[in-house]
Amino acid sequence: MTITIALPSKGRMKDDASAIFERAGMKIVAVGNDRSYRGRVEGADDVEIAFLSASEISRELGSGSIDFGVTGEDLVREGLANADARVEFCARLGFGHADVVVAVPEIWYDVDTMADLGDVAADFRARHGRRLAIATKYWRLTQNHFSGSHGIQLYRIVESLGATEGAPASGSADIIVDITSTGSTLKANHLKILTDGVILRSEACLVRARKAGHDGDPVVARVIAAVRGVL
Amino acid sequence: MALINLPAFADALLAEFESLGTLRVDTPVIQPAEPFLAMAGEDLRRRIFMTESETGESLCLRPEFTIPVCLRHIEAVTGTPKRYAYLGEVFRQRREGGNEFYQAGIEDLGDTDTAAADARAVGDAMRVVANRLPGRRLNVTLGDQAVFEAVVGACGLPAGWQKRLIHAFGDQKHLQKLLTELAHPRTVGVFGPEVVRLSMDGLLEDEARLVAHIGETMEATGYSTNASRSPEDIARRLKEKMELANTQLDRKTLDQVGAFLALDVPLADAPAALFAFAKKSGLKLDEALVRFDARVAALSKTGADIGAIRYRAAFGRPLDYYTGLVFEVEVDGIQAVLAGGGRFDRLLTLLGAREHIPAVGFSLWLDRIEKAIASEGGAQ
Repeated sequence: MTITIALPSKGRMKDDASAIFERAGMKIVAVGNDRSYRGRVEGADDVEIAFLSASEISRELGSGSIDFGVTGEDLVREGLANADARVEFCARLGFGHADVVVAVPEIWYDVDTMADLGDVAADFRARHGRRLAIATKYWRLTQNHFSGSHGIQLYRIVESLGATEGAPASGSADIIVDITSTGSTLKANHLKILTDGVILRSEACLVRARKAGHDGDPVVARVIAAVRGVL
Repeated sequence: MALINLPAFADALLAEFESLGTLRVDTPVIQPAEPFLAMAGEDLRRRIFMTESETGESLCLRPEFTIPVCLRHIEAVTGTPKRYAYLGEVFRQRREGGNEFYQAGIEDLGDTDTAAADARAVGDAMRVVANRLPGRRLNVTLGDQAVFEAVVGACGLPAGWQKRLIHAFGDQKHLQKLLTELAHPRTVGVFGPEVVRLSMDGLLEDEARLVAHIGETMEATGYSTNASRSPEDIARRLKEKMELANTQLDRKTLDQVGAFLALDVPLADAPAALFAFAKKSGLKLDEALVRFDARVAALSKTGADIGAIRYRAAFGRPLDYYTGLVFEVEVDGIQAVLAGGGRFDRLLTLLGAREHIPAVGFSLWLDRIEKAIASEGGAQ
């Protein structure tokens, strides 16, 4: 069977992913020119490479139209309900590190834990006439963390697709859920991470779509073993 | 509208609602989404069907009737008391069953005799379910948040802790976590380094200076939009939080709360069991218990089969507009709630009513009742 592996189509993620596959003995060459969105593995006719955007990779893994993908764990867990039932995280690749965190204004001296936030959220409507507003693009991760893990239901999500860290200062939201790698953007915007506010420690992963045809497929087993072997 | 899927017993049910002295109301299927999300929380978003109007207003397909019926009541300004009945389709994404199904129910708004109104809601719900499923044994579970609030209040906990526990009532896992935390307070990561600095500067003892300091810092860092929490809000809760952090629940009180939450007795025995609990624990629960007893007495008067009802102390709904009674009706042999209801005294003011309007109601899952009827072999 021919299997399809999707890799990020640009930037550091693309270079880092290609480097790992090359170390694993699967050198990737573009089909046609350098900027082509299709590739193949040198010396392996049973593997196809598709270059996609990171969020597309998570979606295609969910629909099962690709067999493997390299993308951030955050995008997979955000994009797919019941992610663990639908995909397998085969290997953590050691690059693309980013934490999905709950961050509040530094000036909220009284809020350092999710329990504090729960108290503030419970009273918010009575004091401000509206629910606590959270700016984020991570709807699912936010809901799971707030209601699933901490019993907090009373908040509203304000969708934010960019410059999320600026939302509290501009007044469009009270707090944020966003990714951070060094924390410097949070600091520059006078935000702090709650002590139990790390929702997910994400990094790039080799992810397999759970498909019935994969059981006992030697190509599938070979890809996993090769990548794991060089980590 | 295609009504082919309307349950066969719909007409009989509506006639019964009418005989119970209710006013039938209907509400549009397409509703503004905001009130549902504001009342039930963000979790609902994934379970309702949302769309947007041309002008960008968030709309949804009616996920339930209570909020639209209450909004309609507030808009109509017709005065109370009022007993409304409804029957219609609701739309929700469910794990089991279809995404569109029928619900019917009664909302009882403005009756100040809460014991009688509670009893009527439970009694009516039991009666209409029993009439659809004659000969089947009902199993009713009843809970009361007001009793839990009284227990927590009598334990002498600071107001902040009481609020936390009451807020978690009905969410067993979260409540347990809070109680564990109360017994073994966290010491690490509770206060940030900033608070330690404030404390060394003596700002924590001087609220006026603290407020001024927070205000200045906000100004300097660009956080003074007035859209969010004010310096006063932050200073006040910081004080409250220090009180919370210094609270530790002793073994005895923790055991008492645990013993209370474990109560699960036939309703007829519940007043005696609660009285015995209050006596043994030494907690003053008089007012809540008087109300509880009055409700049980009123229930007996409605002629409802009290023997079918169990009181479970830990049973509640973790939604902040539920205030007292909650109940669920099932029948033997079917693992599904056929009717559910409760008291929601806070909902109408949250929705914008100018005066306080006590409210209690229940709704019936008509698709599940149909299934239950079918499972007994096509009777009725």
